[in-house]
Parts: sequence; C-alpha cells; structure tokens
Amino acid sequence: MTAAGKRRVAIAAVLVLALVSCPAWGGSGARTLLILFAYNAALAQMWNLLAGYAGLVSFGQQLFVGVGGYTLAIGCERFGLGVWPAFALAPVVAAILAVPIGALTFRLKGGYFAVGSWIVAEVFRLLFGAWSFAGNATGMFIRPARSVDPWLLYYVAIGLLIGMVALVVATLRARPGLALMAIRDAEDAAASLGVHVWRVKLFAFVVAAAGTALASALLTVQTPFIQPNAAFSIQWSVAASFMVVVGGLGTVEGPLLGAAIYVVLQELLGANGAVHLIVLGAISVIVMLVAPRGLAGLARDRLGWTLFPVVRRPPARR
Amino acid sequence: MQLVETLLNGLLVGGLYGLIGLGLSINFGTMRVVHLAHGDLIVLGAYFLVTVLVPAGIPPLLAAAIVVPALFALGWALQRFVVGRSLGRGVLPPLIVTFGISTVLQNVLLLGATADARTLQSPLASAGITLGGLTVPTVRLLDFAVGLACLGLLLLLLGRTALGRALRATSDDSETARLMAIDPRTMYAAAAGIAAATGGVAGVLLAATSTFYPTTGSEMLLVAFEVVVVGGLGSLTGTFLGGILLAMAQLLGARFFGPSYALVTGHLVVLGVLLFRPQGLLPRIAP
Repeated sequence: MTAAGKRRVAIAAVLVLALVSCPAWGGSGARTLLILFAYNAALAQMWNLLAGYAGLVSFGQQLFVGVGGYTLAIGCERFGLGVWPAFALAPVVAAILAVPIGALTFRLKGGYFAVGSWIVAEVFRLLFGAWSFAGNATGMFIRPARSVDPWLLYYVAIGLLIGMVALVVATLRARPGLALMAIRDAEDAAASLGVHVWRVKLFAFVVAAAGTALASALLTVQTPFIQPNAAFSIQWSVAASFMVVVGGLGTVEGPLLGAAIYVVLQELLGANGAVHLIVLGAISVIVMLVAPRGLAGLARDRLGWTLFPVVRRPPARR
Repeated sequence: MQLVETLLNGLLVGGLYGLIGLGLSINFGTMRVVHLAHGDLIVLGAYFLVTVLVPAGIPPLLAAAIVVPALFALGWALQRFVVGRSLGRGVLPPLIVTFGISTVLQNVLLLGATADARTLQSPLASAGITLGGLTVPTVRLLDFAVGLACLGLLLLLLGRTALGRALRATSDDSETARLMAIDPRTMYAAAAGIAAATGGVAGVLLAATSTFYPTTGSEMLLVAFEVVVVGGLGSLTGTFLGGILLAMAQLLGARFFGPSYALVTGHLVVLGVLLFRPQGLLPRIAP
C-alpha cells in the first residue's frame, strides 16, 4: 500500500471509530446532531450521484423523500408492519417508482429536466394531500416508531451513511462508475465510445431514489410524523444542492463536508428559518461563481488532498 | 353555458399565464438558461407595487409604470453581475445560481413583508362585464388584453428592430454575432432585462388579480415553465398559447374534480404533453 493509501485508511479508521464509540463520549445532544448529519450527508451523497456524476441536476428529489417517508408511515400505520420491515420497504418502493418517472423525465434535458422532476414531485405532494388513506394534508403519526431505542436509530443512521459512502466509492471504482464519470465529462463523447448513456443514467437515478428514500425513512422514524407539504417540499432540493455545491460537486468527500456545514448553519441559524435559507442561497451562489468545485475541489486542486481513492489520472509520460 | 364560461375564463387567465411564461421563454431563447428566479422577480414586482409604491400614495397606474422599468434594471443587473458569470461552464452553474437567487429573494420577502397574504385593493377587483349572457371579471379581461399586447410588442421588438435582430443573431450563434460586433454579454443583459420587465407587468397584474405570498414565486416559476414546455421551446406565440392551454386545463380540472384538483390537472396535462408531444405545440429550438 502506498503512503497516501495508508494515510487514507488511518483517517477513515479514526472517523469510523469516533462515530461508533459515540455512546462512550457523547450524550443525547451529540447523538441527535450526528443522526442529523448522517441523514443529510446521505441525501447529499445521492444528489451528488445524479448532479455530480450522471449530469442530472434534479430539483425533484423531494419526491423520493416523500415516498420513503410515506412508505414507512403507511406500512406501519395501515398495514401493521413493524418499523424495520417498513423501513426496508422504503427504498424498494422508491426504486420501482423511479423507473417510469426516469423514463418520462429523461425526455427533458438540462434545466428542463431539473424543473420537470420538480413538477412530478408537486403532483405527488398534491395527490398525497388529497388522499385520505394517507391522512390527507394533516399527515400521519407513526406510533410504533416512538418506542424505537434512540441509540439503535443512531447505529442504523451511521451504518446507513457508511454503507452509502462505501457503495458510491465501489460503484465509482467499477465499470458503471467509469461510465458515469465519462458521461459527466463529455456526454456525447461517452456515447460515441459505446457507453449506453440512457441506461447508465437510469441506473444512477434508481440508485439515488432508493438511497434518498432510505435516508428519508430514517428521519421519519426519528420524527415520527409525516405531512405532505413538508415531505414533498422543494426545501429538500435547496438543502441537497447547497451541501453538494459547497462541499464539492463530483467528489465523494464533498457531500460529507457540505452536510457538516449545513448542520452547523442550521444549529446556528435555526432550521428552515428565513435567515438560514438566505444564507444557504447566498453561499451557493457565491461558491458557484468563485470556487465552482467547492471545498473538496479546492483541497484537491490546490493541495492534492483526496480522502477516497476514486480519482483517475492518465498514466504519467515517460 | 357553464362550460363556455369555464373555457372563456380559461382563455382570459391564460393571457396572464402566457405573459408569465414569456419572460422565461426570452431567457431560454437567448441564453439557453432556465431562469429559476423568474417567478420570484414577478412576485417581487407585485410586492414593490403593493407594499412600497401604493402605500406611499402613488396612484396604481403610475406605480405600475414605475415597477416595470425597475424590474428591467434589476433583471439587467442580475444578469450582468451574477448570472452572466455562471454561463459557459455547462448546465449546472446557471441552475444553481438562479435557484440560489430564488431562495434568497423568497426569504428576503418573507423577512421584509411577512407571510401574510397581499393583494392590490382597487375597484377593478370586484367589477364584472357581461358579454352575451356571460359575466366575466373585468380584471381578467385586462390580464388577457395586456398579455396579448406584451406578446405583440415582443414579436415586433424581436422581428422588426435592430436590437431584435442582434438578439436573434446572438441566440442562433453567439460566436458569429461577436464577429459582427455584437457583444453577447450586452445582448444577454438586454434579454434578461426585457424578460424581467415582462415579469414586472405580470407582477402588477398578479397583484390586481389575486392574493399572493412570498412563496408564490415558486408557483409562478412552475406556471412559466409549464407554459413554455407546452408551447414549444423558443416560440413566443407558442408560449402564449401554452398559457391558454394550461389555464383551461386547470379550470376544467377544478370544475369537474373540485377546486383542489386544479393544479394537479394542469400538471398532469403538461406531463401528458411531454409524453406524447415532447416538442410542444410550436417548437422552434431543439430542447
């Protein structure tokens, strides 16, 4: 193993150890913050898979936030499933739903895809608001979720985040990842070299839908309440795009950094307050204009730092 | 007869929807940018009218004449100093920048003007005109007339003036236009200014027609977007027709399924158009 590789393993091991040993050093405050971080980082990681790798900028990922949360809620409250079986069902429902929705919205390109997917999410928000089985616009309490041990929830959250990062890293190092990065860098060139662009994009879309739904189901276990105007809110896309852009688009470290900054800002300025959102919007604009590759991009370009070994370099000339 | 009334109202509301879409259509037509803050510029114009100019004792008509050039200046400046800097680096930067501007504008309005519903108080709001047994609100006739007039003015501007020729040349091929001494950045700023000015007109009509909130900007953006998609990218006449189609779909949905289904019906009709005629009614530009 190279020196850089050893350093990466050491850093990753320290981070994982710190997270796993949280009960020993942190109280319920640290636990709540870390669950919030894990949830947001997972959401950002999935948005980055779309925008940073598949070239799909979506302002409609709140669709899968809502679907994930409602699968949990309806599974528990209407079909009497346990909390964890319903939790496991959330990504399955989202992935199945993502196939026809991707097939429809992929007809739109660029900015039109971004807003088109927002409209699909709006349709679901309005329909869930009128669906009495799902509690109409007032929403539903998920009563069985109240008895879930918070430390168990914490370990699920941490496991989910680590698993998702590992999945993204493994995907990027394998064939589909190479295809994704080729699409990100030059879609037409990738297609001409035999990359099946539509199929690879759909793969990313389905994976991102499942991951987003899983993260959302996690939050819904914690809350435990769901309401269509909040679950299908455009604010999820505001948050996800902020985390990815500020942290570093098209990097694995970026969404993690972005999520940490997002959680700190939310603690300082209040969740979804007007001032919080003004700061998020302004920072996104400034970062996009001044340092479009975000913090992780700066670290990589200026200092050569990367935490995850997913960067491909052309072989050195002799 | 009731159905005729619904369709007539759809036609009239469609004039305002078409106008809302025109701004987005101009931005996309010249820069290939989906300006996600366009709806918030419309609502900003409405707030400027109702919470600043009218309380200062300015008569509504004069106040409206102030809103439009003010919005032109704001649109021009945003393009010149913010949005313009994000162009030429792919799809994502202008989307993130205009989405960020949208978030900032909405929440500045929320802080500055609270979440209370606003509207322009005027005798126009409750007046009606009877046409062959059908009564239509006067304000909706005004919406349609002004929307149609704006479409006509824009078509003249783009088709018959030197500025219009330069704008179209930049849209078709900005590199060659540059060789003809047309600076694309100036053209983009002019287009963004004109688009925001149409947003100012739409904002005044919005204030006179209905109540609005700081978050109405997102609704306006979706209306504008749907109208442009249905009408066909790059065609102003198509955009205007798209507005009429969307408004009719919403009002028919409200009539047959209940008022809470108006928006869903509109969205589903748009998605249906995407499915069966993705190029829209009168396409000019490949998407």
